[in-house]
Amino acid sequence: MRIETTRSANAVRLEHAAGFHGSPTHLVDQLVPLARQAIERDEPLATALAPTTEQALDDRLGGAVGSADRVVRLRPADSGPAGASAQTVAARWALDLRAMGVAKGRPVTVLSEHAAALDGSDGRFWTELDAALNVALADLPVRITCFYPELPLHLEILEGARRNHPLLLDGGELRPNPAHHDPRAVLTARPAARPPVLGPPDERLTFSAWQLHDVRTAVERALSGNGYERERVEDIVLAVNELATNAVEHGTPEARMSLWTGRHGLMCEIDDGGTLRDPLPGLQAPHPAEPRGRGVWIARQLCDSLHVWADGHGTHVRVHATP
Amino acid sequence: MTDDGVAVTAPLREGRLAVVPGDPRSSAQDVAEAVRSTVDAALAAGYPAVRITGNPTFLVKQGRGTATDGVYGMADLDQALDDVVRHRPAHVLCVYDRAHCPEEVVDRMRAAHRTEVVTPAIYDDGLLRLTAIGPGAARVAGEVDHSNRPRIRSFLESALDRALRLPDAPTDIRLDLSSLRFLDVAGAVGLVHAAEEFPNAHRLVLGGVRPRVQRVLDRCGAPFATQLVVQPRGDAPPPEPPPADRPTGGRIPDDPSPDDERRSEQASV
Repeated sequence: MRIETTRSANAVRLEHAAGFHGSPTHLVDQLVPLARQAIERDEPLATALAPTTEQALDDRLGGAVGSADRVVRLRPADSGPAGASAQTVAARWALDLRAMGVAKGRPVTVLSEHAAALDGSDGRFWTELDAALNVALADLPVRITCFYPELPLHLEILEGARRNHPLLLDGGELRPNPAHHDPRAVLTARPAARPPVLGPPDERLTFSAWQLHDVRTAVERALSGNGYERERVEDIVLAVNELATNAVEHGTPEARMSLWTGRHGLMCEIDDGGTLRDPLPGLQAPHPAEPRGRGVWIARQLCDSLHVWADGHGTHVRVHATP
Repeated sequence: MTDDGVAVTAPLREGRLAVVPGDPRSSAQDVAEAVRSTVDAALAAGYPAVRITGNPTFLVKQGRGTATDGVYGMADLDQALDDVVRHRPAHVLCVYDRAHCPEEVVDRMRAAHRTEVVTPAIYDDGLLRLTAIGPGAARVAGEVDHSNRPRIRSFLESALDRALRLPDAPTDIRLDLSSLRFLDVAGAVGLVHAAEEFPNAHRLVLGGVRPRVQRVLDRCGAPFATQLVVQPRGDAPPPEPPPADRPTGGRIPDDPSPDDERRSEQASV
């Protein structure tokens, strides 16, 4: 299990741009110079593109993308039983890109493309993803360009893209985006989505700050005999313990844990009645001198998915952890 | 007990050590009768004596009526046990958990026993137990989480304070973590920060660290703290003594000080 412990200082920081296209050809026309530039500079390249787009790009560059071992495909969103979580995608990309940047010692170019399959009911996934990327990649040497169709199904996608990106790709040039907003402001106006509703839980537990031991015992019991290695069990118990601790420390004196077990792995939800102050907790490595905020950061890296959202009833966290 | 490094496998196999679950439904007479037959059987088998320990606090916790009923239950149990072992070569160590016993119960139980063993616990809440084991050294057993985390911090502060005031005090503050089963992230960050804030001449040494605790420390910056020393716990199982070729008594291996009298134990806070 790879765990990052600390924030690093880099000369190049995040350059986050949006590009818009009217057709697949128009998209590839814009991708080609960006990919070529990275290859010519011998800088690492990462992609989150549809297979057809990547094939077209590779054809135009004479096989330079398909054959180059420098190209890393970023992990696509997993719309598994816990539901697609944009903040989880951003956290995973940050982990991969950090490793790439550290290994190569050079800034990483990232090319990503909108995928309608993740739109959900209103396209809010993309607003959350771009805001989360602004937080998670903030101190990384990454140049990321996100491409969106000029006419998506949901207007929200265009509005989110315009608010989230500090830069716009326009006629092959990057320009500052006057409509850009801080990611926390964006998410206050358009909060992270509630994931799909799960059935009645296999176990439910109400706990206070003095009953975290019961929380750990319940999680350990739910995992035992389900193919989890001992070390994995300990790590998942640690992750849930941190979320439960936050709920009773920053939320309400009493919080609730629900557990679902089954062939998809463990799902756990922690609900408290408090207000979510940071809409995207645990996406950025905490500073070594900062005693707070490390628990969720570690929990995000230990779980397959970790989604935080808030509504009128309070703050909720859902984690999914497979063996 | 195996987890805490006590060699129990062989005594369990040979029948020299038995673990019996507590049953809140059994009466004091049931328990006394079980003890009587066990002791007599052991004597018949050639053992010179029997040692028994248990925590009767469950009588209070299981809520047999009110807490007062529980106290009378414990007193009954005590009386019945006393009748059984008074004229037999048996030693009984009754463990009472201060967290579940009001002061009057403590006084009553103190009066009912001939010897009191006060364990030098700095802190004990049933989940975490801090015990002083020498100047600037403590044993941390159990689990550290949000409910008891500040206790470690205050121990470290007072230990460091003493180390700075006394000229002969050791410059290493030691915590024996070999029985620490869980450490949460803030607890690990607290240890790392405490070590970083030590004066240059002093170090924080964590001994017997289990892999589970080690991983949390590693993720919280322990490898970068120059004044923090993390010594992993050896993976070797507890040493098993060679099997006894003749019965030599049912002594529990980690019994701290054999004594011929009945004792009660009080965890002093």
